[in-house]
Amino acid sequence: MSAGAGSTQAAGTQAAGTQAVAAGCGAPAGGAAITDAGNQAVVQGQVTKDGSPVGTGYARLLNGDGEFVAEVPLGEDGGFRFFAAPGTWTLRILAPGGVRAQQAVSAATGKIVNLEVAV
Amino acid sequence: MSRSDVLVDADWVEAHNGDPGLVLVEVDEDTSAYDKGHIRNAVKIDWKKDLQDPVRRDFVDSGGFAALLSQRGISNDDTVVLYGGNNNWFAAYAYWYFKLYGHQDVKLLDGGRKKWELESRELVTEVPKREATSYTAQDQDLSIRAFRDEVLAAIGKENLVDVRSPDEFAGRLLAPAHLPQEQAQRGGHIPTARNVPWSKAAEEDGTFKSDDALRAVYSEAGVDFGIDTIAYCRIGERSAHTWFVFHELLGQPNVKNYDGSWTEYGSLVGVPIKTGDES
Repeated sequence: MSAGAGSTQAAGTQAAGTQAVAAGCGAPAGGAAITDAGNQAVVQGQVTKDGSPVGTGYARLLNGDGEFVAEVPLGEDGGFRFFAAPGTWTLRILAPGGVRAQQAVSAATGKIVNLEVAV
Repeated sequence: MSRSDVLVDADWVEAHNGDPGLVLVEVDEDTSAYDKGHIRNAVKIDWKKDLQDPVRRDFVDSGGFAALLSQRGISNDDTVVLYGGNNNWFAAYAYWYFKLYGHQDVKLLDGGRKKWELESRELVTEVPKREATSYTAQDQDLSIRAFRDEVLAAIGKENLVDVRSPDEFAGRLLAPAHLPQEQAQRGGHIPTARNVPWSKAAEEDGTFKSDDALRAVYSEAGVDFGIDTIAYCRIGERSAHTWFVFHELLGQPNVKNYDGSWTEYGSLVGVPIKTGDES
């Protein structure tokens, strides 16, 4: 396991949300965007279709090997957030109607990456 | 036991929803999900509030389980179809729990809530009214639940399948930072355990992989299907998903879920622990 993938669970367990996370191993809901990354490597954003939020769907984070790391349901505003580790990730969006989208994203400690994903 | 005995798909649920003797149950980690919308006629079970003893670290006893199911209007001879978010983690946990207390006819909705949502199927907010029943729970079936001493005795003898992420397995991470009360004192894994993250068993849409694909995943990781198996994770719900794969889908005998999992094992005094990526 590489150092980059070495902190992948952080993305899974610290993914956004509070209530859902309290259960333990989970994939919590989107949650409001944050503005201060602190010492985290934040990947967050919003999924839209024709300019409107996609409120039903899922954001998945895959590591550099394409392996699943974490998944969160999109918030009502189409929002999602992961606390990843520094490195390169693939964000994959699943939404109704067979909608699939993905893009590469680089995360860095102390930095918030904001993504606008149009599907 | 075959796949069709324990898994149903969304079309089946739509065709049979409302049939007498069928109860849909949503089990979520995020318990607000049900309130925002659920499959018509589904009742809710809260994996923590309803299934865990509020004081001791253990499950509600058989009397408590009987009271819960009675209150939810579930009878002993009902067919219970469980589904939930997170690729059915907590639904699988509840499935194992229903089996622990001897419920005969339980099934999972393959793909759970995610696949249902992605297919834009109907969700409603109306909460069904079910008349209370007099449910009778059996004593726990301890052939599917492992305790710490059995786990220690299994080192080097049985399959120990650690279904956490590679980082938890290696000891680089202990637990979510949000949950100090559940944190183990040490990181790492049980010696000889094979690390096969739960997600290897699921497709992107949350459905289970085919039997052949599942066998390949575990075989490649060094699991010996000829010997007994104990699965564990951090608190026992991801490993319930893997228990379901081994015991219910692949028909393996003698498979146990160690619900104490790493939060217990990693806090025990004097037990062997291995760190790093190797088993």
